[in-house]
Amino acid sequence: MSLEQRIEHFAKHTPDKAAVICGGETLSYSCLWERIRKRAQQLTEAGLCAGQPHFFLATQDADFIVTYCAVHLCDAVCVPLESSMPQERQQQIRDELNDKYSPPKGGRSVSDILYTTGTTGMAKGVMLSSEAWTANAENLIDRLGFSSELLFIVCGPLNHLGSLSKIYPTLMTGGTLYLLESLKDMSAFFSVFTLPFSRFATFLVPSSIRMLLQFARKELTAVAPKVEFIETGAAPISGHDMELLCQTLPHSRLYNTYASTETGIVCSYEFSKYGPQPGLLGTPMKHSRVRITEDGRVVCSGETVMSGYAGSPEATAQVLQNGEVYTSDIGSIDENGMLRLQGRMDDVINVGGYKVNPSDVEDAASAYGLIQDCICIPVPHIVLGTAPKLLYVPRQGQTIEPKNIADFLRGRIESYKIPLFYEAVDAIRRTYNGKLDRKAYLAHQQRKG
Amino acid sequence: MRNRIIELLSAALPMVNLDSDFLFAELDSLGVTTILMVLSEEYGIVLDAKDATPRNLKTIDSIVRMVENKLAMK
Repeated sequence: MSLEQRIEHFAKHTPDKAAVICGGETLSYSCLWERIRKRAQQLTEAGLCAGQPHFFLATQDADFIVTYCAVHLCDAVCVPLESSMPQERQQQIRDELNDKYSPPKGGRSVSDILYTTGTTGMAKGVMLSSEAWTANAENLIDRLGFSSELLFIVCGPLNHLGSLSKIYPTLMTGGTLYLLESLKDMSAFFSVFTLPFSRFATFLVPSSIRMLLQFARKELTAVAPKVEFIETGAAPISGHDMELLCQTLPHSRLYNTYASTETGIVCSYEFSKYGPQPGLLGTPMKHSRVRITEDGRVVCSGETVMSGYAGSPEATAQVLQNGEVYTSDIGSIDENGMLRLQGRMDDVINVGGYKVNPSDVEDAASAYGLIQDCICIPVPHIVLGTAPKLLYVPRQGQTIEPKNIADFLRGRIESYKIPLFYEAVDAIRRTYNGKLDRKAYLAHQQRKG
Repeated sequence: MRNRIIELLSAALPMVNLDSDFLFAELDSLGVTTILMVLSEEYGIVLDAKDATPRNLKTIDSIVRMVENKLAMK
């Protein structure tokens, strides 16, 4: 059964049960279903056809859920875009997709195209079928234990797999979603726990967990008996933060999950049960399989994997081969069949769960007239884990204020890609064939610790 | 202590004007979090969300006072 069929089911059987709560508004299952049907009718009248992409911003509200499900009800394709995405980039995506997109021939039909830097770091449209979503949901229901009594707090962007994937198991089991803009307002997060529910759960990236442990441990301790489970993922979490979270929430189930838009939700490790171990991501879930290539690359297959990159068969062929997604992650499988991650093969910078391809930053910064050459490198950050830093060579005789570079980049690239650190240098190191010598900068950074 | 705090915060938040007479207005949530975490780690003090007030984070001098008060309470 699809997500929309499940919502319709609960609209009939538990019509008054809260489905979505956001900003003081509560939508019951019957109300949610009614709004989805009406929105689908409006979209059809406006000319939306089956198989056609529908672009909309991933606002963190009930209206997003309504539109998302309504587009599916029209058999059209959801293309949720990051709400902070610059207008120019939005238009570029629309133009590219309208120009190049054609549904894959045979096999599953596409229900979503998610624009994400994903496992490759390149901004591509990942095509997902409704079957892949159902498999993801069943993986989560089976491993994490979603139920109709659960209130799941979503506080991450709904155009990303990490948060969007939680809509499915929550509403497919008749539970309740609580949508928050972000975790910036911690008091808003903790006020959710005053609602008359007995079981709460959420997904938090490691930097959010660190912030909660640092600044709100007392509050977290106070709500501990109500926390059924917390899932983390998208970036490495430290052993120290895992241990502290286990101590703070001694009765909650705590999971570290391996997932990406391309692979779907693949493995999860319950570190509250088996002990905190950084990099350990557990065994594959029921619809997923993992293997490691001879050179240590993590390869995933199963029902959850993507259908390909929209309008880009060449890029698809590089990553998706015979139903297997070749990730850029390096890992191993231990004697218990658990996946352990050891690093990445590529240059992607993981900024608190957001994947940044440094060449996107370099291309944008190179367009700033006063910069002669530049490179974007990862540096340690106390909150985010790693953050982008731009090393730049000013044109001869020019002095550049880093703030001016940041202002220039704002509006050209997504906000999470804008470097937090800047340094003027005399030259950028390149390899003998003229490519940026990223390895040299990474080695230098590692020596600095 | 003032110089050390300036040194630490300049390294952690190079885009923020630490000479501002209303520093708090220049900070986003990541900036506020970074300041509290850097100072907690350096001085072994407990700073939580309640300490992130405009009064405590108004200027470098008010940040120094906040750290001194926390150290006195240790």
